[in-house]
Amino acid sequence: MVEMGLNAVWIMVAAVLVLLMQGGFILLETGSTRMKNAGHVAGKTIFTVGLISLVYWAVGYGFAFGGDAGEGLNKILGLGNFFFDPSISAAEGDAYPSSVFFVFQLAFAAVSMSIAWGGFAERAKLSVYLIFTLFFGSVIYPVIAHWIWGGGWLAEDGSQDYAGSTVVHLTGAMAAFAATILLKPRIGKYNKDGSANEILGHNQVFTSLSVLLLWVGWFGFNAGSALTIGDGFFAYVAFTTQLGAAGGAVAALLISWLVKGKADIGVTLNGALAGLVAITASCAYVEPWAAVVIGLIAGVLVFFSQLFFEKIRVDDPIAALSVHGAAGVWGTLANGFFATPELAEKVGVGQAGLFYGGGGHQLWVQFLSVVVCGAFAFAASFIVLWVIKQIMGLRVTEEQEIVGLDLSEHGSYGYPEALKKSNTTTAL
Amino acid sequence: MSILHKERLLLDIKGAGNPDSLRSIREEEQNRLEAVLSSSPIMEWVEELNELQDALIARALELVMAEMARLGLGAPPVPYAYLLFGSGGRSEQTMSSDQDSGLIYENPANEADAERLSRYFGTFASTAVQYLISIGYPPCEGNVIASNPEWCMPIGDWERKLDGWFADPSWENVRYLLIAADARLVAGDAELAARWTNRFRRDVLGHPVIARRMMENTLRHKALIGVFGQLLKERYGETAGTLDIKYGAYIPMVNVFRLLAVRSGIRETSTIRRIRALEQAGILPSEEALLATEAIALFMQLRMLASERSEDGIRIVNGKLPAAKLKREWKAPLKNALKLCRKLQRQIERELRSRFGGR
Repeated sequence: MVEMGLNAVWIMVAAVLVLLMQGGFILLETGSTRMKNAGHVAGKTIFTVGLISLVYWAVGYGFAFGGDAGEGLNKILGLGNFFFDPSISAAEGDAYPSSVFFVFQLAFAAVSMSIAWGGFAERAKLSVYLIFTLFFGSVIYPVIAHWIWGGGWLAEDGSQDYAGSTVVHLTGAMAAFAATILLKPRIGKYNKDGSANEILGHNQVFTSLSVLLLWVGWFGFNAGSALTIGDGFFAYVAFTTQLGAAGGAVAALLISWLVKGKADIGVTLNGALAGLVAITASCAYVEPWAAVVIGLIAGVLVFFSQLFFEKIRVDDPIAALSVHGAAGVWGTLANGFFATPELAEKVGVGQAGLFYGGGGHQLWVQFLSVVVCGAFAFAASFIVLWVIKQIMGLRVTEEQEIVGLDLSEHGSYGYPEALKKSNTTTAL
Repeated sequence: MSILHKERLLLDIKGAGNPDSLRSIREEEQNRLEAVLSSSPIMEWVEELNELQDALIARALELVMAEMARLGLGAPPVPYAYLLFGSGGRSEQTMSSDQDSGLIYENPANEADAERLSRYFGTFASTAVQYLISIGYPPCEGNVIASNPEWCMPIGDWERKLDGWFADPSWENVRYLLIAADARLVAGDAELAARWTNRFRRDVLGHPVIARRMMENTLRHKALIGVFGQLLKERYGETAGTLDIKYGAYIPMVNVFRLLAVRSGIRETSTIRRIRALEQAGILPSEEALLATEAIALFMQLRMLASERSEDGIRIVNGKLPAAKLKREWKAPLKNALKLCRKLQRQIERELRSRFGGR
């Protein structure tokens, strides 16, 4: 009973940390975008966290973790526990109360949702956020969570994704990708000749602070995924997490310095996040040196990925595709190389990677889960958004976009003193 | 250019009676030069272009004197010297360089005289700047121009001003000293100009640390070559994909040799002559001097190519060369030239750091 209590406290602490990552997303997205959209960008996150909580409680959790589906259907999705009503305390023999597990899982769903918003930033209508949250929170995210964590077909395959490089990050990034394709680039991002303009975020201090918030929150995300105090394994997970993040930050600053001639702060911040995203899948499966390598590669990868997306004219204001998409893919694949037999056995999922005598099997499983989950998340998001686009449109009008979403969607500015209504048509 | 053409051109310029005719001579001649740019040895071409500009400016100043007489203000009451700074001072003007200029006149005898001379040369310089604008030389954006009273003074004030800059080498003052280092007489009294440049040299010798301050002031313009030997192109905006030849190649090279020349008491102001003088003084090894000459010639050529004609016929040089204009056979020489530039920059930096300490 004491151990159950300790587990519950630890999961609760972790859930709070993960929920607090929303503070990171608020600052990240706001700092990386312009002043005229600040109130909207920040405030809509609070609204959608509220909305996804209700949707996930009513429907999403049941699809992800409901255990009542038949054996065949369970491979695809769970059924049961809709309008989740947990017992008020843990039953005898339970490792933790189901209520705390729900709170923890909900925080993950909300993180994935906020990642997706990166692709919508500065041009999507507020109503689109509302409608998309309904679909994302009830079906898109829960289905993938079920496949890998809820006993679905990828879990049976031994797909290793400890805390959600694929489930949370790749899923969110794919939704962002679908959105940014359908929304098209922001006004002013590209010139007629195809060259890109730099649309700078309005507050690099916010962005830096956001990375610290996310970084700290990530200990809940990764180490919390141990779900139990047990023999203290969660601390090892926290340890590899720190190494991965560090590698990402350092590699990103250095590579931008080497290639561009100037060390780019934005890239450095994204590098830290990419390191975290990448180590998320592998934090429980790899040795310290491998954690460092995974982080370093993620830092380099995020830099070139950003250049790539800009080149193919995908306007991704928050770099969600690179940070969560590219690094999410890399992190998941990394298990196929670096997972050790001891740790795979300890966690009880999958087997050793290529560099530890496991052959190519685990790498193949990892590859499969990335491709299938990525494709599903992209296709499902694309269809939902495409239908919304046909029925009501996704994007605010040109005038509204120029004036800013603070005014067009909410009627007042996030920075009222800095932006006078009378000058609303000046370029901000 | 044939000697005959040159003589006729100079005669035409001498005969021009107003700024408008000088403007048409300039345009015609620049069109001719533009047409032969790709088929001429670049340094000769630059020399020719700059001789043209010098002749035009000198004639414009003669016209100003005539205008002063017509206004009843008379001939200059004392000797004066009209100086060019910037690319004009270095004899490295493009077809659209702006005016960077200054005016020195002889010291007044007394206070009343001071007032009179200041008024006369104030009018003189403003008229000169106006004439030059109508000939097609835009005014200096930084206001380093003879019509600014700060750059139009009797020699005594000028000497005090120079001394002041040296005594207080703040960022702004060092910038002025860098400008002053490129000063060249284009019209007027050679002796006055020499007094000014002598003062400058004397002050340099008295303040060796100024070299380090000059270095710090110019270091922010880096050669546009990366660690992997890649060319660093502009990333964003309308100029995305272009090479900033002016600030990423030409200016860093100018800065390197200005610094070396100033330290060694060399009076030449053009980069190519500074290189030659440094070689003759045994400061620059012949091999390096040759490479540097080739490098600056390439930078000048690319700089001239970066000029474009806007819709209203006015030339614009933003110093940025579209990558498409960079011929394949120039790529390797450009990279080598930039590497040389970076090497020289670092060499000077290290040397000055070890001599005067870092910061």
